[in-house]
Parts: sequence; structure tokens; C-alpha cells
Amino acid sequence: MIAATQLRLVLVTPEKTLLDVPVKSLQFPLFDGQIGVLPGRTPMVGRLGIGALQVVSESGSQTYFIDGGFAQIKGSIVTLLTNKALPLDQIDAAAAEKDLAKAMAVLPKTDSEFSEKELEIERARKQIGMRRWMN
Amino acid sequence: MGKARVLVKRRKSVRNIRKITRTMELIATARFKKAMDRATEAAAYTKKINEIVADLSSADLTFTHPLLKQPAETKHVTLLLLTSNRGLCGGYNGGLLRTALARIREIQKEGLELQLEVSGKRGLNAMKFEQIPVDFKYTQFEDKPGFDEVNEIATRLVGDFIEGRTQRVEIVYQKFESAARQAPAIETLLPIGDLATDAGGSASGVDYEFLPSAEEILEELVPAAFKARFFKCFLDAAVGEQIARRVAMKAATENAGEMIRDISMEYNRARQTQITSELAEIIGGAAALE
Repeated sequence: MIAATQLRLVLVTPEKTLLDVPVKSLQFPLFDGQIGVLPGRTPMVGRLGIGALQVVSESGSQTYFIDGGFAQIKGSIVTLLTNKALPLDQIDAAAAEKDLAKAMAVLPKTDSEFSEKELEIERARKQIGMRRWMN
Repeated sequence: MGKARVLVKRRKSVRNIRKITRTMELIATARFKKAMDRATEAAAYTKKINEIVADLSSADLTFTHPLLKQPAETKHVTLLLLTSNRGLCGGYNGGLLRTALARIREIQKEGLELQLEVSGKRGLNAMKFEQIPVDFKYTQFEDKPGFDEVNEIATRLVGDFIEGRTQRVEIVYQKFESAARQAPAIETLLPIGDLATDAGGSASGVDYEFLPSAEEILEELVPAAFKARFFKCFLDAAVGEQIARRVAMKAATENAGEMIRDISMEYNRARQTQITSELAEIIGGAAALE
């Protein structure tokens, strides 16, 4: 069997399909850490985490911030379903700092509030971190 | 001359109204196209979610999730009504309100607690008139509902449902069937009856690797499926409003055109009568002089 050489990324948010492009490789966050995908990956369904999606295509590499969701790999097509996806240069670090401060100030009383706070903090920190990494 | 003047004035005002309704029709058409594009783009997400649901179901897994479970008894119902902020869209709000009020009466008759949430100024005013208390009011949704805004409401509803503060969540909105057909519909959003009602994808027979596990993916997937469905209701409503407005304004423009024709005819007759009578007077006067 000839090794698969093609890979296609489809990035979907509830509002629209953001990307539908052929890529060489990509990296994205799963629930427990980054995963890298090259052509010929075994079919997979996974839960996404919060963090950076890095797309390497013929024309160079692009970085997006993605906020949870699901990944499905089927044949040569990688589909990422996420609530929110922002290109790196659209991340608003100042707003993220503000969100972080706001999340830090919350005093959670129930389990759901606690996990919500953790999520907010992670979201804000990842955005700030990505922004710094760019500069 | 009195009558002809009045007619000219009236014809002028009808012409102005026709200008306005025609413009509104054009705007509604443009907005409808945009709203429609958004709805089609959003459909990709729903389709993919359904596909993953189908993939999961092939993984030999029993679907258990708090959002899927039918509560033992229903005491509290949350009803969400989506209307428009602006009027001049024909029977759009009227139809929705009629459906919603009938449902509210039904719920009250069954003796259930009702939490009413209304989006849109038209619905809020109607509820004020009917003296039905509204628990949550939204007026921020125009023709472009954003997922973030809708998500906030959805998250609160999911929380209410899971913690048992409500046992059923229903929505009244303009369901989009085709570009020529929309109708007010009541849908039960929670508990989710069947996860893959839209029959997006059949099991593909691909052997997937599940990370972390099928159960944990399901746990996240069910709320996501609910939110996608919830968001679609808002998009449908936005499309429906624009279609209703376009149809109403098209009819108004046509009627105004007809009215202008009638008035013109009446005006011409009045003018002719006047000329005839003036001529008769002159001839009469000349005959008297001879």
C-alpha cells in the first residue's frame, strides 16, 4: 500500500466554516496536550482542549487559537469542531488580561462554578501566552 | 376644484409610502440573503455533530446523559419565545404570539410552573398587554444573532435543567422549512428526545480511536449538540423575520401602486368634470350675450 500523502483540514465553528484547505501537517490541543497529525493518521474522534492550532501548508504556517470542541479524523480529512477560533493576530491580549483578572476574582461555591473558573482562567492564560509567543 | 386638490395631495402621500415600502422590501431582501447564508454556513457544524454522534453510536455505547433523560415528573416548564424587535413584517409576530399564548394557557391549565423568556420587543409588548409576567427579556438579537450571545442563554438553560430547576425547555419560533414556507412551531429542546433526529450521517463503519473515551466525548457532545440546535432556532427566526418582512412589504408596494392608479383615475375624472362644467358655463355665458 502506498503511504497516504494528502491531508485536508476543515475548521468549523457554529457560525461558519473557517478553513477548508489542504495541509502538510497540523498540531492542535487535545484534552490532555498537543497532538500532531500527519497524512495517514488512524481514524480518530477526540475531545479538543484550549490552545493553539498550528497549520503547516504549502504556503507557510498559520496559528489559530481554538476553544474546546471535537476533532474527527477520517481518511485524509481532519475536521475540527470548535466554539471559537481566532487567528493569532486577532487575539486581544488586553481583553484576555481583563478576563483573567475577572475570573481570578470569582469565588466559586459549587463544583460547576469551580470548573467554570478554571476554564476561564485557562482560556485567558492561553490567549495571553500565545500573544507573547508571537511577539 | 376642491376635490381635485385633495386627490393630488393623497396621491402624493401614497407615492411617498410606496417609496418607503419598496426600500424596505429591498433591504429585507438583502438581509434575508445574508441571514440565509449564515444559516447555510451554520448547517455544516450541525451536520458534523450528527456525524460524530453516528460514529459514537457505532462504538457500541448506551447513550446516557442528564440532558437526554426524561425527568420522572414535570413541574416546571421553561418556554422561550423568539419574536422580532421591529414590526412591519406581516403576520410574523402575530402567528408566533398566537401559538405561544395557546401553549402558555395549556401549561397554566395543567397547573405547571411556567418560566417565560421572550426575545424581541414585539413579544415583550404583547406580553405586557396580556399581563403575563416575563422572567427573562432579550432585545439584543437582530438579524445577525452571534453564537456567543446565544451560547450564554444555552449554558444557563442547560444548568437549570441539570440541576432540576426546570424539567422541560420549549421554544416557540418561526421554523424554516423552505424559502417559501415558514410556520410558527413549538419544539421541546430539553430533554433531547433523539440526538440524531436530522439523520446527518449514517454509521460510516470506520474503526475510530476515541480520545479520551467514547463516554467522555459523549459527555461533551450532548451539550454541544443542544447548543447547535438552539443556535439554529435563532438563525431560523432571523431568516423567517426577513422573509415575512419582504413578503409584507412587497404586498404593500403593490397595493400602493394600485391605489395610485385608482386615485389618478378619480383625479382625472374630477378634472374632466370641472373642465366640462367650466366650458358649459362659458358657452352658456356667450349664448346669453348674443
